Amino acid sequence: MSTWESLLLGLSFALQPQILIYCVLGVLLGSFVGVLPGIGAMAAISLLLPLTFYMSPEAALIMLAGVYYGAQYGGAVASILLRLPGTPQSAVTTLDGYPLTQQGRAGLALFTAMISSFTGAMIGIVVLVVLAGWLSALATRFGAADYAMMMIFGLVAASTIGATRPVKGFAMIALGVLLGCIGTDVNSGAQRFTFGQAELLDGLNLVALAMGLFGVAEVIANIRNPERQKTAARISMRSLLPTRDDLRRIPLPILRGGALGSFFGALPGTGSTLSAFLAYATERRLSRQPERFGKGAIEGVAGPEAGNNAASITAFTPTLTLGIPGDPIMALMLGALIIHGIQPGPMMLEARPEMFWGLVASFAIGNLLLILLNLPLIGIWIAMLRIPFNYLYPAIIVFLCLGVYSVRGLTFDIVLVAGIGLAGYLMTLAKLSPALLLLGFVLGPLIETNLRRALLVARGDPMVFLERPISAGFVFAIVVLLLFPLWRLWRRKA
Amino acid sequence: MQRDWPEVWGGLILAIVGIGAALYAGQNYDLGTLRQMGPGFFPVAMGLALSGFGLFIALPAFWRGGEGAQFDGISLVLVLAAVLVFGLALPRLGLVGASFVTVLIATLPAQRRGWLWRGVLALSITLVTVLVFHLGLRMTLPLWPRLS
Repeated sequence: MSTWESLLLGLSFALQPQILIYCVLGVLLGSFVGVLPGIGAMAAISLLLPLTFYMSPEAALIMLAGVYYGAQYGGAVASILLRLPGTPQSAVTTLDGYPLTQQGRAGLALFTAMISSFTGAMIGIVVLVVLAGWLSALATRFGAADYAMMMIFGLVAASTIGATRPVKGFAMIALGVLLGCIGTDVNSGAQRFTFGQAELLDGLNLVALAMGLFGVAEVIANIRNPERQKTAARISMRSLLPTRDDLRRIPLPILRGGALGSFFGALPGTGSTLSAFLAYATERRLSRQPERFGKGAIEGVAGPEAGNNAASITAFTPTLTLGIPGDPIMALMLGALIIHGIQPGPMMLEARPEMFWGLVASFAIGNLLLILLNLPLIGIWIAMLRIPFNYLYPAIIVFLCLGVYSVRGLTFDIVLVAGIGLAGYLMTLAKLSPALLLLGFVLGPLIETNLRRALLVARGDPMVFLERPISAGFVFAIVVLLLFPLWRLWRRKA
Repeated sequence: MQRDWPEVWGGLILAIVGIGAALYAGQNYDLGTLRQMGPGFFPVAMGLALSGFGLFIALPAFWRGGEGAQFDGISLVLVLAAVLVFGLALPRLGLVGASFVTVLIATLPAQRRGWLWRGVLALSITLVTVLVFHLGLRMTLPLWPRLS
């Protein structure tokens, strides 16, 4: 099948009414939750995951993906209007978005964020289509050793790149991998860390883990946070329109942000948050007047918003073609697919083309919907930012409990959520990343299986990881990543 | 001097969890060999790694200044209580009773006080919950408290 035929197949699949409705629902719910500060895409996806059990796997994937990139659009709104990032991905947008609001140009910042998000996503879709075919062809040559090293590379990259103290990331990943060991060991049938609890035989419930870490912990951290009590001012529709000078400033940052985001989104371990930061740094460096940044430079909104949306699209490439999630949100998405009985991997493009290409087409449709809907709906989003958190969080608690319960019908899982929520809150106090824990939790069992298989085939000879070219490349990259922080430390001291 | 206590404690707890997991796995599960790893190999290795990382976080933080974190014990206890009560009450009080009680507990740490406000909020959230989960998604759950 040529690429065009595949895209047409996807488009005809995604435009079926029973699929389209879930795409619309996904992007609307995503924007809705993304606008609310303190509730990011992780919490949104885990809150809505149980609702998808009543759908076909294709519809579920398309809806959850819509929630993800919809949340990116929504996240920018709170960043710009309140200087509270709606999602971590839009944290950089506060730097120049909020000063624009203070200057009475909030409308312009919102318009720029949306147009940049849309264009960034479109760039991401093109890159995804090109990469997917290439990667799934390459994936047939991947052996167990290559998979294991690629995933370890992803984990190391996620905890070192852009982090001030990588050891904290390593600790969270190790904890996540340990939690992933709970349950029946698929290789030997042994029951690990189950302590005789029948509820733990299938391992920790992923939804309970995500809800505890991202739902309960975030609610606790926000209830009495004085920052969180701010509400937004109204803005007029007229102020959305950019001036000719603004229009001249934004196209190049959008293109650069989209390109950067597409690249880093597709790499395992780096994701849309990092892409937004890199896009911002790039724009500031390239600008002739870098002093304008931080004081309301429109380029500082355009670049990062294009970057994080492009990355959120291309992040699906390794997840769907190799079965390896590159960032924590993709790990949650992979977990969702596995609950639906689908194991993404090199075979998915062949075996379920309508699922893959339908998803790609839904990206285009969903982003188009977002830009068409969000401009008229902007008043509603601002009205939502005027709802006090006091009215919202009790409902969040009830919904997340029911969501967890609906997965397996066990009250054990609700009790588990309370325990994980406690741990998650303590982690936020110690500034430890629960997102990396989740990444370790999902990747851990996959790494263990592939490591064991690789070493079994190689008769216990660890040199196998250096003899295979793909695996050796990842080993080299891991060493570089580990040495880089040491080198930086040494240079600072010297 | 104000120490970076959250990091000290966080690191120490991680180190203890790591050591504990490694010891437990080492005693109860077969380690195997590098060629044929047993179920214990991976947990022991990860547990040891975690305890090392934990110490690496805790020790430098002990000698470094830091700002104390905003610890909100009341919200923590009451939110966790709300979740636990929901789990325990669902089979006995049904969807309506469990939602209502949970919202009442959850609103206790809120900045807005007053029982009328709490009651109205609890009623409306319960109504939405029943509409979404019982009528919309048709989850099989007892709706009302069991009287017997």
